[in-house]
Amino acid sequence: MNPGPAPDRSGAPRRPAARPGPGDLPAGLELVAPRSLVREAPVARLALAPGDRPLVGSGESVVAGTPLAELARVRRAAVIPAAAVGPDAAPGSWWAGAAPRRGAARSRRGPDEGELLCRTDGSWQLAVGERGGLLEAPAAGVVRLVRPGAGISLATAGLAMAGVLATGGPVRGRLVVLADARAELSRGALDVGLAGAIVVAGSRVDAETLTRARAMGIHGVVVASVGSRDLRDLAASEARQRASLHPPAPFAVLALEGYLRQPIASPVFDLLVALVGRDVAIVDDPPGLLFERLDPPAPSPPPDLVRMRAGPAVGREGRWLGLAGRRRFASGTQLEAGLVDVGEARPLLVPLADLERFA
Amino acid sequence: MTGEPRAFLALDLGTATSSAALVGRVDGRWRLLGSTAVPSDVPIEPAIAALVAAIRTADPHLAGLVRLPVGAALADQSVLPRLVARTRPTAVLAVVAASTRQLGPLVALADRAGWRARGLAAETSDPVELTRLLLAPDVGAILVGAGERPAGAERRSLVALSRLVASAATRRPELDVVLSGASAAQAGLFASGTAGPGSNPEAAPAGSARGALLLGPALDAGEPAGEPLRALLDQLRAGDGDARAAIARATASLARVLDRRLETIEIGATAGLRVVARPGLRSAVVASAAIVPDEVDEAVLDAIGYWSTTALDRHRLRDRLRELRRVPWGDPAGEGALLRLAAARAAVGRLVASTPDLEPGASPDLVIAAGGAWAVCPGPVVGLALADLVRRPGISQYAFDHARLLAPIGMIAHEEERQDVLADLADDLLVPLGTIVIAGDVRAGRNPAGQMSVRAGLESGELDLVAGGLQLVDLPPGREATAELRFRDPVVIGARGRRFEAAVSGGLGGLLVDLRDVPLRLPERSDRRRQLLSAWQAALWPGLER
Repeated sequence: MNPGPAPDRSGAPRRPAARPGPGDLPAGLELVAPRSLVREAPVARLALAPGDRPLVGSGESVVAGTPLAELARVRRAAVIPAAAVGPDAAPGSWWAGAAPRRGAARSRRGPDEGELLCRTDGSWQLAVGERGGLLEAPAAGVVRLVRPGAGISLATAGLAMAGVLATGGPVRGRLVVLADARAELSRGALDVGLAGAIVVAGSRVDAETLTRARAMGIHGVVVASVGSRDLRDLAASEARQRASLHPPAPFAVLALEGYLRQPIASPVFDLLVALVGRDVAIVDDPPGLLFERLDPPAPSPPPDLVRMRAGPAVGREGRWLGLAGRRRFASGTQLEAGLVDVGEARPLLVPLADLERFA
Repeated sequence: MTGEPRAFLALDLGTATSSAALVGRVDGRWRLLGSTAVPSDVPIEPAIAALVAAIRTADPHLAGLVRLPVGAALADQSVLPRLVARTRPTAVLAVVAASTRQLGPLVALADRAGWRARGLAAETSDPVELTRLLLAPDVGAILVGAGERPAGAERRSLVALSRLVASAATRRPELDVVLSGASAAQAGLFASGTAGPGSNPEAAPAGSARGALLLGPALDAGEPAGEPLRALLDQLRAGDGDARAAIARATASLARVLDRRLETIEIGATAGLRVVARPGLRSAVVASAAIVPDEVDEAVLDAIGYWSTTALDRHRLRDRLRELRRVPWGDPAGEGALLRLAAARAAVGRLVASTPDLEPGASPDLVIAAGGAWAVCPGPVVGLALADLVRRPGISQYAFDHARLLAPIGMIAHEEERQDVLADLADDLLVPLGTIVIAGDVRAGRNPAGQMSVRAGLESGELDLVAGGLQLVDLPPGREATAELRFRDPVVIGARGRRFEAAVSGGLGGLLVDLRDVPLRLPERSDRRRQLLSAWQAALWPGLER
């Protein structure tokens, strides 16, 4: 990094401020949005739909991989006589037991089991489906709440790296870094030896690479950004697979930075590198990567490190030099700005709203 | 505002940005001393400290006069009181109806009450799909919608649907449930213990209540039809302390203070707001009029693409809009500013289309732009954007709530006190954008369409009026003038005629005479449309490099 900015006609500081010590926040940086690198003991919400059967109760401790629920596929509604269900049954309870056939269901086999939805006159409606796999705990923790048909809240014991969006989770696997923070993963880098892994794919990934990764048995992809079109194509491919007889293999995508092409933030990438070879998990809600504590912990980024989270220089990083006051930007817009040393001859003038710091 | 404060903070804590304005008592009047805004994920206290420090540096005498505190005392509300308005993220309202015929209008009504609405009809969805919707984690309330007297099959379906909702309510006891119209007859399903704790069929609607059962009017009840149900849903969403409800109150108070007809159009990150005040007060919060709605569907892309002055392919546009929704304060300059303006224009279009019943009979005297969507646009462009979409032949002044004071002032509980503060702040509250004259029924191709003379004190000027065009007369803020317009053929400016004379006042955009079509018709070809929009915009956007 450049030791200091050149003199600036616009009134920028001629000498950089003294580098702050650990824990100190350089002047003016409190007006820049903080971004948490990791969150302690995150609560993951794991989605259930009517017809899925919870296998755990609130308050239970689980380890990573513990089956939490039996998932259904090709869900449908069915009706059974109220007499087949106990008087104390409540909506959301699981009903298991053969029942006399009734009404439209007479022509086909009656349901063996299902989730009670609603009691009507003399009968219960229930959600039934074919067994479609298990929902496993993505990390060790305590089940905080089980809501049949809605979801399970799991208070995990480890840490989480927050992302912007995730789809397909939860999945678990050992972490493999296949591309640098700024690079794009090439399809050729994927092979069956990565089956079961969660791979870090750099700055951007397209739908074809995602589809190939899923076909190779890779459990998940962590990437800086993914476009709406690629997510749509992946969803269409998964829908086609679900429609076939074979249930789709678990596969999740986690975007750490957004929808627009940009590199992974360097402190985030450093942490991912530190996690290589360890078991991690992608969860959708809130989108993030779960992992166990590192010993020793990963080093914290310097307090004056800032990153451009939006705007034409999105993804660039540098050292905070100080507030620059109200400045004129492209298209004549007047904005509060800061000066950032990005290692070039002159510091970069950036709208404060486009910056983030690591807290 | 009781006691003897010499200054107070007005905070508008939005979902995208937080703003802080410092108001001080100077020469016996409340005056705006300064304001600032930061992204909502930046703590507001450092921003307040920076604002106070800047004022103290700029004018130490004034700081002493209003007894500005320092350090930790800034947070002491007995020293520096605060008026706080908040906008909360909007939950989803699950709308269920017996038939698809009922569902569409119900979803539209919920959208106009500010809810992110998601709907299913029992006619086309099975109980599994319906239950999945009702139990979705982002659902905050349920509306079972129906007319007053449903037909036989619909009535039977409504009973089954109400049972399903009552069952879901036992699993999500924190959800509010609204039974509207004929579905209210099924309240017994909930009252008999099927519903969650705290359910009370007689409960008055209250936004703070959770797990309440509310009996609402039918979709077709009231005048205009559906208004009582919309008002109930709006109240349920907003609760107490809602910033948009406060903006509506402040607009009404300001209309009384100024004795003028006002219209406020606010575009924010989670919804848009339209308020028409005097006579009476009418308002609506429209969720789909957020700068980028929850769902970036094809219609949203089309609308924003229509108003965009830059060429973007649809996938890239969708990604940029999703990014704008995620980081609404980001990328505020250059192309980001142009995209934000196109998105804001499209949002105004959705707001106006959703609120035809709020259309004032005559042009309001003053149109106020508010909300974060306009924060980084040059003032004159904001006026033009509103004139592009809110097209009424007439003469109106335009102004901008630059310091976002309307919402905090709307939080003052007592009307008289609110009016006193507004009367003091009237000169500081709004930035005048100028006066816009919109003429209707202008015959195309007959140029010049007429002449206009503007007299401001001893100065006067004359110019030809161009049919289909925009003409700008430089009239700075605070300047009053008389405009006389003489047309060759009769046109409509409030009334039909050939000669019009009106008092106009200046602003950042001066006096804008708009003889374009009413409603505005733009070229179908996107390149020609972009060219035309860019040309209009460039005249009012100093420094625009396109």
